[in-house]
Parts: sequence; C-alpha cells; structure tokens
Amino acid sequence: MASVTLSDLRKEYGDLTAVDGLSLDVDDGELLCLLGPSGCGKSTTLRMLGGLETPTDGDVHIGGDAVTDQPPYERNTSMVFQSWALFPHKSVLENVAFGLKMDGVGEDERHERAREMLDVVEMSGFADHDPTDLSGGQKQRVALARSLAIEPDVLLLDEPLSNLDKRLREQMQLELRNIHDEVETTFVHVTHDQNEAFTLADRIGIMNDGQIEQVGAPREVYDDPVSLFIEEFLGDTNLVDATVTETTETGVVADTALGTEAAIPTGDAAVAAGDELTVSFRPEELDVERADGGASDGGASITGEITDVLYRGSSVRFYVESAGEHVFFEQSVGADTDFAVGDTVAVSWDPDDLLAFAADGDRVGGGGS
Amino acid sequence: MAELSFAWLGERIKRQDAGSVFLIAPLAAFELVFFVVPFLILVRMSLNANADPGFYQPAWTLEAYRAVLASGLYRDLVVFSFELGVVATVIAVSLALFYAYAAYRATGLRKSLLLFSIILPLLTTLVVKTYAWRPLLSPNGVLNDLLVGVGLLGSPVQFAPGMVGTVIGQVYIVFPYAVLSIYSVLSTMDWDTVEAARDLGASRPRSFLEVVVPEALPGIAVATVVSFAWSVGAYAAPSQLGSGAQTTFAMEIESLMLTQFDYPTGAAFSLLMLAAMLVVSLGVMRLLTGSIGGVEGV
Repeated sequence: MASVTLSDLRKEYGDLTAVDGLSLDVDDGELLCLLGPSGCGKSTTLRMLGGLETPTDGDVHIGGDAVTDQPPYERNTSMVFQSWALFPHKSVLENVAFGLKMDGVGEDERHERAREMLDVVEMSGFADHDPTDLSGGQKQRVALARSLAIEPDVLLLDEPLSNLDKRLREQMQLELRNIHDEVETTFVHVTHDQNEAFTLADRIGIMNDGQIEQVGAPREVYDDPVSLFIEEFLGDTNLVDATVTETTETGVVADTALGTEAAIPTGDAAVAAGDELTVSFRPEELDVERADGGASDGGASITGEITDVLYRGSSVRFYVESAGEHVFFEQSVGADTDFAVGDTVAVSWDPDDLLAFAADGDRVGGGGS
Repeated sequence: MAELSFAWLGERIKRQDAGSVFLIAPLAAFELVFFVVPFLILVRMSLNANADPGFYQPAWTLEAYRAVLASGLYRDLVVFSFELGVVATVIAVSLALFYAYAAYRATGLRKSLLLFSIILPLLTTLVVKTYAWRPLLSPNGVLNDLLVGVGLLGSPVQFAPGMVGTVIGQVYIVFPYAVLSIYSVLSTMDWDTVEAARDLGASRPRSFLEVVVPEALPGIAVATVVSFAWSVGAYAAPSQLGSGAQTTFAMEIESLMLTQFDYPTGAAFSLLMLAAMLVVSLGVMRLLTGSIGGVEGV
C-alpha cells in the first residue's frame, strides 16, 4: 500500500509528446481509473509509473520515495498487461510464483503463496496447466494473481479487460472491485471504456492530449464536467451552438441553433453578448410529450417532428428536428409513450440541467470552474 | 488461374488421389535422381575392394570399413573434427543468440541493417569470403599490425594458418544460419513477457535467462544442429585457414577420392561419419528440446 504522486511528468518520443506535463495524486489504497481515448498518453503514464518507460522530465513518487530513475525490477509496482503476458514455458503455478522466485523466496513457500493467490482469483484448479491452454478470462485471472503475489505497493492495470467479451468484462469489473477491497492495495487502472471506469473507480482521471483534464469521483465528473472534451467523451449528448444575446442575474440568454432562445445558467462567469457557446442538452434531462400545436412555454422547450427512430436493444433513440438541427432523446423499450416517425413532439428541459462551454472548450459556469 | 495456388496443391496432396501422385512426381523424381541414387552408388562403392593402381576393384566386402575403423590416423582426424565442431558451435550459437536478440529488439533502419548484414555474406562464394580472412589473420596481416601497434602483442602471432584462423573462419561460415534460426523463433516472442519479468523483479540478465532463452530454445536447437553438423564436416575453413594440424575428416575424404583415388575407403569413411553425425544430431536435438516437449515447426 502506498500513495503515488506524479509531478510535471513528460514523455517525448522524438517530435511526439505522449505525456505533456501531467501531475496527479493517487491516495493510499485508492482505485483510480485513468480514462481517455486511444493515444491520449494514459498507457505511457502507467508505464512510467511502473518504470517500463523513463520520463523525459518530471518525477514519480511512490509512498513518498522518489523512484523516477528506478528500473522496474527495483520498484514494488506490478503491472497487469493488456496481453496478460503470461510466460508460455512455465506452468500457471510457476507464473504466479515468478515474482516471489525473483525475491529469493524458497520453492515450497512461494508455491504455497502462489496457490493462495490462485485461490483468490478462483483459479486453484489450474495450477499445473499450461497458460497457452487457458481462455482469455482465465489468463486474465492468472495475470492478476501473478501481479498480486508479490504484494505490490501499487498494482497497475493496463486495459486488462479490453480483450474480453462484454459479459465477461462486466463480470470481471465487479470481481476486480471485490479483489481491490480484499487486498487493500492502491490500484491504477487504465481504460478507454467510460462504463468500466464508472463501475470500478473510486476516482477517475480523464486524460486528453497527454494531460489530465479532470480528476474526481465518477458522479462528480459526470455531473460537473470541466470541459467540452469530457462532456463528449463521457457519453452521447446533444451539442448545440448558441450565441449569447443578453446577460441576466443568473446567467445568460442565448440564441440556439435549435431556433429558440434558451436561458443558460452560467453563474458569474465572464460571458458577454455576442460570445459563441456550445450547449449540451443531455438526452436523459429532456422531457418529451406529444405536442398538439400549442405554443411552447417560456423558451425552455422546442417543438419538432420525429425524423428517425433507432432501436438500440433495451432502449430506443428518437431524433427530433427543429430549425434544421437534430436533437435526440431516449426511452426504454416498453415505455408508455410510443412515438413514431412524423409525430410532432414538444421537448422541454430544466435550464439548470444545461451545460455550456466556451469556444475554447472550457466549461462556462457550473460548480467545477 | 486463381485456383492454382499452394493451398490448392496442398489440398490435392492431402487427399492422396491419383492427381496428387502426379503433383508430387517432379519432387520425387528430383529426390530420386539427385539424392537416393547417388547415395546408393556411394553405398555400393564402399563395398568394393580398393585397387592400386586404379579407383576400385568390383567386389562385395567390408574391407574398406575395417580399414577406416582400424586406422589411428583417421581416429585422430575424427576427434579433431568433433573438437572443431564443438568449439565453433558453442561460439557461433552463443554469439548468434545475442545477435538475434539485438535484431529482435532493434527497430527501423537498425533492424534492417542487422538482418541485411547477416544475409549479405550468404550472397558471396564461401571460398572467397573464407580466403579473405587470410590477409587479416596472417602474421603480417591487419589484425597483427593492430595488436602489435597498440602494444597488446610484443611480436606478431600466426593466427592463420592455424587453429585460431580455422575456428574464426568456421564460425564466420555458420554464424548467419545460426542467427536466422534463432531470430525466426524469437521474432514471434511477445515483448510484454520480458517486461512482465522485469516488472516482477527480474534483472535484465535474469529476465533474459528466464524468458528469452526458453522462448528461443527451439531456434537454439536448430542453430546448434546446423552449426555442429556443418563444422564437424568443415572443409573450406580448415583447408584455407588451417595448417596441417587442422585437418578434418572431410579434407581426408577429399584426398582419398581425388588424390589417392581410393574410392571404397573414401565412400566407407563418408558413410560412417554420416551415421555418426545422425546419431549425435538427434542426441543434441533431444537434449535441447526434451524439456519443452519437442521442436515445434521444425
């Protein structure tokens, strides 16, 4: 168990900057997810934490000790690789016992401890198997046991679930949570899957272009994103351009591309008339009802025609056209209201649920800024 | 003609119908004419009696085998041939393991250069490139000039003709084959496994021993057998870079056939060595790969 501090971490490969001045604190015993799209530098950050890459600049502290220049075999971190990287010429038991063997633990003791570890991941029946005979999920468990066997200060997980099918992945997410609670070790888990991060993490660090955009508890990050990038990355939403027409006491009024004026709660942020904003209308915050040609009330709604209906398994997505722009909302299959293409509907929202972002992508107003 | 692919040929041959016999025929004919028939001629020749003057006396006798097995000179030549085989193999395969690992780790231009410089010597005639070592290794050659010049040697040493030259020449001949055998196996290795070993506390040398060597073992076995078989039967390196003391059995057989015109003895000597090499090669293969259950894909 140990805390981790990354300060001003940089990694450059020639002209390419993979990690660009990243600072992050991971608390002792925490499960932190580094979430970001491919190429955002999250894996490189993890590898610098494990000593598999040397930072171009910046420092890595684990449990208060500077380990920036320590090679991986001197650090008490352990990585679970995306490919699992089991040793093909060793049995499952020897794989799990490998780290202890390197520590000079005698054969009887290390095999006993390896068996205990295999018990934790429910693979005790496979000790004598050849790793190449195992399924993906089984390999994943063995790789986890192998890393946990050395009782690392920090366990590093580099998308270890991404090669599993959806059902197994969701099952392993829960098991990983349980194992984390059991071993009380600091986990840093890298993933590009938002759902995985939300399921697993105590806190999520969202990365973009080699930097951390936002760190926080899953709920906090979701409810209060600091930038347009995060709002887009965390889930599908309706992003609508708007131009500020006047400022009010609680925010601004903007002329949206949906053809209606909308009040936007920007708080005391510095916004002036004429500023361009991007406004996020989250589909789950939209209220929809059949419109009977009545006038819309007070600007917090639009009326439009349903142009497309998309079945997405358990939910149905409806696209509504207004002033040439499309917004979508979703309903569970079997919900009471059953809209069809061509129906005219009124879509309304609570202005407090809108999120606005400035032209540079930063959040305007809201608790996060 | 998209059907006429190797996969199609393979399918036909697997089905073993009349057509497949027809497809295999050219290969079978080639094997028969260039390997089986000459081998049978060699066997028949070894059973003739020697004649002086003349090449052989038609007969059915084991006299030639008896003569080879009884000769103390030949036994010494065979012992030296095996010594050269062991020394050249150990050096070539050890160096090749590191070279292949370096080529596996390298990227881009460096990788291309490492692999290309291994293949390039294969495009040159064996005799020419072996002979090229003479001016480098002779007493007034480049290497001696350098070593004496920097003061490492008081006076020039005769590396060639001699044992040092012979070993260097032989290692140089088999090295590319050893590298390619090992590289072909290593190239499929997942680098993550080496990182995983280091991550779990293995130092660089330790991770090499624990992960890279077991992975490369089938390649090492092939490299060893190829290097050993070739070096025991060495001809070009000892005849061009050795002195009289570096005579291998292959050189003696050449002399028996082309200078002494003793065909039966030469043939019998060849066949005895062929049998000996077969046994030793199988033994080496089993020794190196027994622990991982056979050489796959070889």
